[in-house]
Amino acid sequence: MENLEQTQGISKSAKLETWLRALQVAQLLVINPHGLGGVIVRARSGPVRDRWLAYLNDVAQLAGMRLPLRKMPLGISDENLIGGIDLDQTLRTGKAVLRQGLLAQCDQQLLVMPMAERVEVNAVAKVVSALDNGFIAIERDGQSRRIESRFGVVALDEGIEDDEQPNEKIRQRTAFLLNLDVIGWRDLPEADDDFLPDAKSIQYASQYFSSVSISEESLNALVGVAEHLGVISIRALNLALNTAKCLAAFDREDEVSSMYLQRAIALVLSPRATRMPQSAPPGKEEIPPETEESEEQESEQDPLDQELPPPEVPPPDQYQKDEKEDEEQEQEITAQNPQGLEDQILEAAQAAIPADILARLADLADLKTPKGMGGKTGAVKVGRMRGRPLGNMPGMPEGGKTLSIIDTLRAAVPWQGMRRAEMKVAGKTIPHGKILIRKEDFRIKRYQERTQTLTIFIVDASGSSAMYRLAEAKGAVELLLAECYVRRDQVAVMSFRGSAAELILAPTRSLVKAKRALSGLPGGGGTPLSRAIDESFEVASASLRKGLTPALVFLTDGRANIAKDGSPGRPKAMEDAQQSARTASLYSFKSLWIDTSPQARDEGKAMAALLGSMYLPLPNAGANEVSQAIMQGLKKA
Amino acid sequence: MARNYPFSAIVGQEDMKLAILIAALDSSVGGVLVMGDRGTGKSTAVRALAALLPEMSSVQDCVYACDPNAPAGTCPICDDLRAKLKSGGKLKAIKKPVPVVDLPLGATEDRVVGALDIEKALSSGEKAYEPGLLAKAHRGFLYIDEVNLLEDHLVDLLIDVAASGANVVEREGLSIRHPAKFVLVGSGNPEEGELRPQLLDRFGLAVEVKTPQEPKSRIEIIKRRDEFERNQEKFMQTWEKEDEIIRQQIQAGKKKLSSVKVSDEMLEKVTQLCSHLGTDGLRGELTLLRAARAYAALCGKNQVTLEHLRKIAVPALQHRLRRNPLDDSSSAVRVRRALDELFPQTAQ
Repeated sequence: MENLEQTQGISKSAKLETWLRALQVAQLLVINPHGLGGVIVRARSGPVRDRWLAYLNDVAQLAGMRLPLRKMPLGISDENLIGGIDLDQTLRTGKAVLRQGLLAQCDQQLLVMPMAERVEVNAVAKVVSALDNGFIAIERDGQSRRIESRFGVVALDEGIEDDEQPNEKIRQRTAFLLNLDVIGWRDLPEADDDFLPDAKSIQYASQYFSSVSISEESLNALVGVAEHLGVISIRALNLALNTAKCLAAFDREDEVSSMYLQRAIALVLSPRATRMPQSAPPGKEEIPPETEESEEQESEQDPLDQELPPPEVPPPDQYQKDEKEDEEQEQEITAQNPQGLEDQILEAAQAAIPADILARLADLADLKTPKGMGGKTGAVKVGRMRGRPLGNMPGMPEGGKTLSIIDTLRAAVPWQGMRRAEMKVAGKTIPHGKILIRKEDFRIKRYQERTQTLTIFIVDASGSSAMYRLAEAKGAVELLLAECYVRRDQVAVMSFRGSAAELILAPTRSLVKAKRALSGLPGGGGTPLSRAIDESFEVASASLRKGLTPALVFLTDGRANIAKDGSPGRPKAMEDAQQSARTASLYSFKSLWIDTSPQARDEGKAMAALLGSMYLPLPNAGANEVSQAIMQGLKKA
Repeated sequence: MARNYPFSAIVGQEDMKLAILIAALDSSVGGVLVMGDRGTGKSTAVRALAALLPEMSSVQDCVYACDPNAPAGTCPICDDLRAKLKSGGKLKAIKKPVPVVDLPLGATEDRVVGALDIEKALSSGEKAYEPGLLAKAHRGFLYIDEVNLLEDHLVDLLIDVAASGANVVEREGLSIRHPAKFVLVGSGNPEEGELRPQLLDRFGLAVEVKTPQEPKSRIEIIKRRDEFERNQEKFMQTWEKEDEIIRQQIQAGKKKLSSVKVSDEMLEKVTQLCSHLGTDGLRGELTLLRAARAYAALCGKNQVTLEHLRKIAVPALQHRLRRNPLDDSSSAVRVRRALDELFPQTAQ
């Protein structure tokens, strides 16, 4: 749906422009894959993306790249990614033979990461360290080696939800961010053949881009423009500079003139802009928080609070307003006709910010949503076949356990002499040149699955509850937050009162934020229990998709009096709540029902039973008792 | 071969550079942990360190590059060599560069602690030990980028070895104990997870780095990067002089270190500060003291002053504070606050 809207929101010519820009990105990637880091292509799998990849492939072939696009499968093992010992060859030759991993094989090529938003952070870190170093350091299976490999990354981002993003580590190191979701199949030109570059120019450029020079004035302008666009990262500056050099080299120029700088800025910096070029007075501007930015702003930030606040994404109509304002300002400034290279380029950079700025800002905003989540989403429950390797232990490779061949061999090798002697004594024939492996040599791999828990507190802030227990509930949640922090769990807080349930704190690990959200929690109004149950389970199942294990804690007296449709009346409200509870129980999440009414009531107990929750009546308990009860309850539940 | 960017050419990031120099000057301070923004030259600085370290004298035939003056009983190989010496003889010493060893993510346990040499075992049936990264890093630096993403079982190993200074290998029929004293240097991004407190404690100093904001230094950074990439030879030559100055500063500091005095008054201040902040254990006090002394030596001073203490207190203590989950202020702020309360600026 959203896609459709986006597609319709932009004019046809703007879409074509976006497409041509995407084609140019493909050329640049072929010219200098390593120096530009790569590209993140946000697009769902489909004909548009396929066509872009086909074009990339064609250009790479022109430039004489062999096997240009190497795919990195999701959940690739370290062995295959980094490399290790080649067992077959090693045993055959009696010499340790190294087997190169995918990263080492990608030298001077492009590494395609499908579903980049789901690649685990550990895999990302390994790719990224190879990107930074230009070599792969192998310290595995008795092999210690350094293999040069200079590749670029094509990260295919198929995220649908706002918080599904490729890891920030990748975003920082790829020069280009493309959004092909805004282009429909029908918007594409008939064929891209006309846009294929001249093979000689590509080859020339990839040979000479590094010798292109840049004047001091242009450098100053680059840094100045970045500042205007609110791009803080130094890496982005370097990438823009490298892009400008490649563009110049393509035209066989030996210096970056302002035209190339402009184009590079439009390609690299504009998509990363965190503010409109003419920034409104501070405070008014909407800066979608970027890592560096917000850390700068609150320079003395507590490490606890490192997780960034979700950006306040204003509703679309607000965007439009802002855009209008910005347009007005733009005209004003243009009228002033500022001098100097920087201003000139900035002006051009603005012009280069395409007409789809609205959609761009919108997807910029959604690209900036919850930090730290991107890339971590791969850890959905998987058997004991995956997870962090934990070393190995003696055991048989049965029941889905994986044999660690190297370690098995290692275990067997020292005993060969003795075993042969033993067999000789026993009068058995000794197989020549074979390793004698016995049962006790077998080693299996151990994995540790890391799942984070998300504890969702659903706090009844209605009039009936607020009277007695709201303060205690708040206190208890605060205490629990500290506990969750220690265990590195995430927490979310939902409150319900009046006619609605509201997620007042999206899943986070920041205690400070949680504390803030709680202290501002008002009480009073009806008890829309049914909605609270529905929405909390929605949050819980969404978190499950992200690889978290949700647990729910209800703090309520269980006396619903607002029905699902918002109408008052206890019988209907209770009926709805029970219905919701029945539906919710199908998820079978861990949950805990804390009855906060002064006397334990049957309503609460019945609801808990329907939900399949553990029921804890807590008449007259203070925050400490509530928190302890919950801790114990959650352990048991 | 790609060369490392020179240390002296790194723009800004004074806290980080100081912490690294102090660790280079006095390894007893303990390692350095650098956490912070991406792309701020964390790895660059650590890798550049290798070029700054004066060579060390080490036993010629010892794979662990032991100190010739190390006491007997610490290294099996040196002990063997000693046994072969005539009485009164000395171990042959040669100069070797101080190792700066990378521990890459995805390293396997056998390469970290060392393991049976599989090639020798397969070809000649010999049961030989192949030293791992911990052995390589002996007397030098062990650098872990993305330290917070390191696998748990490796973290356990490191914690143990970093504390004892010896690596004990009991696997595959091998039973070996060799010295592994190294300075741990870690870097990472705090958003990707926190370090276990035990590992955190192994780092003497902790610094936080941020992306520079002032346009001037930003321009300087990309300018130097560009120069470095375009003409490495020339760039290295230009900065070699500056690097040499730092190298001499470290060398002079090393010599000076033993003669730097710490007055009782200063000792008291160290204790006062630590107890005020409620740091756990003695490690905080020791590190603060050693770091202040190393800093004084680096500055060429004979005496530790309050100024030195003030400068070094944040990196030495900020990662040792007991967490107050509901205190909004960062630990660096808390250390600075304590400094101002205890020793007001006007007093000196």
